[in-house]
Amino acid sequence: METTIVIYAQGLLKSYGRIQALRGVDLEVRQGEIFGFLGPNGAGKTTTIRCLLDLIRPNGGALRVLGIDPQANPVAVRSRMGYLPGELHFDEGMTVERALRYLNKLRGGRADWSYVLRLAERLDLNLKMAIRNLSKGNKQKMGVLQALMHRPELLLLDEPTFGLDPLVQQEVLRMVAEAREQGATIFFSSHILSEVQEIADRVGIIRLGKVVEVAETASLINRSLRRVHLRFRAPVDPRELTGVPGVTILFQDDGLSATLQVEGEMDALIKKIAAFQVVDMEIERPSLEEIFLAYYERERVRVNST
Amino acid sequence: MFTIFWYSLGRSRGQILGWGLILAVLGGYLVGFYDTLAEQQEVMEQLLHSYPPELMAFFGDFGQMFTPQGYLHIEFFSYMPLILGIYAVLAGSGLLVGDEESGTLDLLMAQPLSRTAFYLGRLAAFATTTFLILLVTWAGFAVVVPGTTMDVTPLDLAAPFLSLFIFLMLFGFLALLLSMLLPSRRFAAMAGGMLLVASFFISSLARIDDNLVKVAEYSPFNYYQGGEAIIGLDWGWIGGLLGFALLFALLAWWRFERRDIRVGGEGGWGVSLPAFLKRRRFRSERLSSQL
Repeated sequence: METTIVIYAQGLLKSYGRIQALRGVDLEVRQGEIFGFLGPNGAGKTTTIRCLLDLIRPNGGALRVLGIDPQANPVAVRSRMGYLPGELHFDEGMTVERALRYLNKLRGGRADWSYVLRLAERLDLNLKMAIRNLSKGNKQKMGVLQALMHRPELLLLDEPTFGLDPLVQQEVLRMVAEAREQGATIFFSSHILSEVQEIADRVGIIRLGKVVEVAETASLINRSLRRVHLRFRAPVDPRELTGVPGVTILFQDDGLSATLQVEGEMDALIKKIAAFQVVDMEIERPSLEEIFLAYYERERVRVNST
Repeated sequence: MFTIFWYSLGRSRGQILGWGLILAVLGGYLVGFYDTLAEQQEVMEQLLHSYPPELMAFFGDFGQMFTPQGYLHIEFFSYMPLILGIYAVLAGSGLLVGDEESGTLDLLMAQPLSRTAFYLGRLAAFATTTFLILLVTWAGFAVVVPGTTMDVTPLDLAAPFLSLFIFLMLFGFLALLLSMLLPSRRFAAMAGGMLLVASFFISSLARIDDNLVKVAEYSPFNYYQGGEAIIGLDWGWIGGLLGFALLFALLAWWRFERRDIRVGGEGGWGVSLPAFLKRRRFRSERLSSQL
């Protein structure tokens, strides 16, 4: 079966005066997947999302969302989307309910109000409250609710769990997973890697306005980086181990024990340590966070060296 | 568009009631005072002659003080463009950029709504708000005028309000255009306010300084009739002011359709340069990097 591409970006460029925010973003998001978009502040995550909505116009490159050019027909794109901005602001003079009804009216009243009430109950959000009296977390709940309430085909979520307590974070992630089960595609940016690891099918890493890696979340975690704890019978000169390609020593104690980070295949290391008497060996898969940081470190070194 | 219009109009109800009621009470009081003033015409004329001409220039022709149109112009319509003009400049400059700077425009423009529909909804709400403020004010005049010796009908009184409405649209739309071109609402309001005050001073001082007569031809105040409109509207002037107002609104729409919706930290708060200037700058950057 052919996979439908819901978001397609090729060579996307965006500059703000002299600042080049996007330097050729290439991206493909498939229908029905949860795609995590990772990157530190200023990497271009929000700029990419706002280009998808035609809130800002790219200076170059090609862009299709749900098969439509957002600049040519932004209304058609937005009518099938739900959006949670990274910087969320509402008209403070309204109640939660009035603001949600207003946004719903702008969407032609598509939301089923009983569904809105169910979502509000799950998020423990009081619709009668005045927005000016809401905490940051409650405003974020409201943002999540307005993005989900009309059951969009595509959800663009910029830092969806920002400002929420851990219990509500879990509830929001459950709602996102449920939306996917109902057929929605979810594109969300985050720098909370544990949540990306928890729900994303695929991950894209953006750095300095360029997507440097796109991979299945599981394969990214499994593929390249491992942490190896070794204990030897007799002291081993650490230089013997650092000479192995892809191996970095993270910790060593009198030559009797060492913790190594291994990038790539394990074969060379196993052959190397076969020459020593190994008492114990433990291999640990790193978290997405560690992979992410390793990626950035590697890129930083590459950029500095060039 | 209608959802945006009704919502924006609802947000302005405080302005309509606040401005409208205060000005209606003031208008009713001034109309009621006309008979008292007419009874003391001789004393008042002596008093007016003692004022310096520089001061009198700002309020119109004091020779007309004892006619309804002259009285209403001097007492009300001469300075209303300045007072309500400040409202129009503030409202116009914040019509779109106000929401942008408060961060609420991002979510609104992510709804299935074209920029044109949003723009027209907001523009219509601003025009309607201003119209309703003037309507409430006019009602204050119209209720009191039949009980005085002032020889005008409530319908006659509508003419200077129409002249004022068109003038306010001109400065409101100018401020809106400035907000699309300048880095912030504050800059746009400041520039619009300065133009308003400058126009008022130039047109007023041109009455006593012949050197300013030529310059005053370019001042919108010159084409604002005020109280004189009671004896007949100058449709040429109304059309001219309306034409420029619509031109400013059209240019603001053109710019809004093409610009980025800004949020803090995106680096999009610089002065908007025309495209040909931007290209030239990039080209010169490229050349310098090649060198």
